[in-house]
Amino acid sequence: MKSYTRFVKPVYLVVLINLMGFLLLYMYSKPYDNITIFAGFSVIALICLTYALILKLEMGDEYLFLIVSMLMSIGIIMLYRLGRDLALKQIIWLAVGITMFFACYFAYLKLNIWDKVIYIYPIVSYILFIITIVFGGGKRGATNWIAIGGISVQSSEIIKVLYVFFLASYYTDPDKLNNITIAFKRPNIKINISRQWIFIALNYIFIGFLFLQRELGTAFLFFGVFIFFLFIFGSKLTTLVFNAVVACAGLVFSYFYFYHIRVRFDTWINPWSDISNKGYQITQSLFAIGSGGFFGTGLGLGRPDFVPEVHTDFIFSAICEEMGIFGGIAVIFLFFIFAYRGFKISLMVNETFDRIVALGITLMFALQTFIILGGVIKLIPLTGITLPFISYGGSSLVSGFISLGILQAISRKA
Amino acid sequence: MYEIISTILKYVFTIVIYIFIYSIIRLIYLDIKSMNRRAGISDRKYPYLKLLNRRDELNFRVDESYVLNGRKTIGRLGKNDFVINDPFLSGNHAEFFSEDGIYYMRDLGSKNGSYINNVRIGIDAVPLDNGDKIQIGQLTFIFVQDKR
Repeated sequence: MKSYTRFVKPVYLVVLINLMGFLLLYMYSKPYDNITIFAGFSVIALICLTYALILKLEMGDEYLFLIVSMLMSIGIIMLYRLGRDLALKQIIWLAVGITMFFACYFAYLKLNIWDKVIYIYPIVSYILFIITIVFGGGKRGATNWIAIGGISVQSSEIIKVLYVFFLASYYTDPDKLNNITIAFKRPNIKINISRQWIFIALNYIFIGFLFLQRELGTAFLFFGVFIFFLFIFGSKLTTLVFNAVVACAGLVFSYFYFYHIRVRFDTWINPWSDISNKGYQITQSLFAIGSGGFFGTGLGLGRPDFVPEVHTDFIFSAICEEMGIFGGIAVIFLFFIFAYRGFKISLMVNETFDRIVALGITLMFALQTFIILGGVIKLIPLTGITLPFISYGGSSLVSGFISLGILQAISRKA
Repeated sequence: MYEIISTILKYVFTIVIYIFIYSIIRLIYLDIKSMNRRAGISDRKYPYLKLLNRRDELNFRVDESYVLNGRKTIGRLGKNDFVINDPFLSGNHAEFFSEDGIYYMRDLGSKNGSYINNVRIGIDAVPLDNGDKIQIGQLTFIFVQDKR
């Protein structure tokens, strides 16, 4: 009896979900479409192959990938139901992502330079930001895409990883960042800027660039991670208060001076006053979540397509509508245990740099999930950001797998 | 037709996802249990058994080390202090205990026997020295005791 329960391996359950999901999707597409079967098996093959490799090569923590593969399966099944082409593209991105996962895993383990190049991270990030702002395109008011050889890449997704490395290399050894002394000749004064303030300034430049790109969600995400780090690494209370005050002032200022931020707040406080226009998206999302009930309408029986952007930012509404509140809660649970695993790896590992990188990556995922889920259910103002591993989006998925690969490499050392 | 299947499967979906979450949490729970035991090693107050086998070659869960703080029994049954699901272990396999600072091991009448430095031991207690090789079932341990 005991051995029986041990053999219901979680990976079989992921395969089962995929089999059932794609069988259902095959029946859903009216002229039966054999590509569905092919897509289903390629997803299952990718997951099983990766999981087998993780076990075979002893790549440390095996649960991380399992949790992610479950999230991904739910996401791809939902995307397939929303639009076949989206899901097929997503599967290709999944293959790219898994390749990057292994590449980053080995790169992180083999190369030993990551904590030594503190200046590289902000410089590369700022260059990417500037390239995006100058040459980039975008939609919905945000300028966040650069086209490289016909593929549009969302630069902020790559910068997320760089930002974590930047924070980690600073907190491993703050002395690597030099103090700057500015000496004026005329009124003979010297201004000594300590490394702490340089660090804070560099952080605000990150957030400022994101603001310029109108990527409010990501800006919020970076600021959240920054504040968490200040708090965790025992900064002085004055530093924390200073940053909180700056953030509040910035928020109040932008509320009055930027129209698009005011819209976000207004639709958060009362979306019903302008339901046909500004509040349309969020109210449709709420209707979708509400119409699902406990177990949902069943796959393919709801109308999540009423919600604009349902395949990216609002995929959680679609999950809630067709898989029910229980399905939605399951997704949140999965993110919970994922974050828990991340924190545990961070606690177990010995080297400070690894610790902080693991913490940063976990915080990024956790906060990102909170920001978009909170936005979709109208808990906090809505800011456009993807749900990690579930939403449609190549950059987001690949960046997620890069982070996962690094986390996996760190868990190997633990 | 499609509606019926989809309606049935939505319940199955939910149940399978929750079984998945349950099984992951269960595995994580086992993981934390072993983490707590390992945490005890750092103070080096008690001797411990260090596993020599490669853990991935064994198809059952076994820890890297077992701390001997007090009387400990080892075996396959759940009431033992160290439960290891090795098919070559007996239900109650062996026992470790200390008397006046000296640690002893004795076999509890196991089928496949216990060996200290390749010598089979019986029901009578045998004193252990630092570096002794202990073999039970498929497992080989080293007895580590820091003497100060």
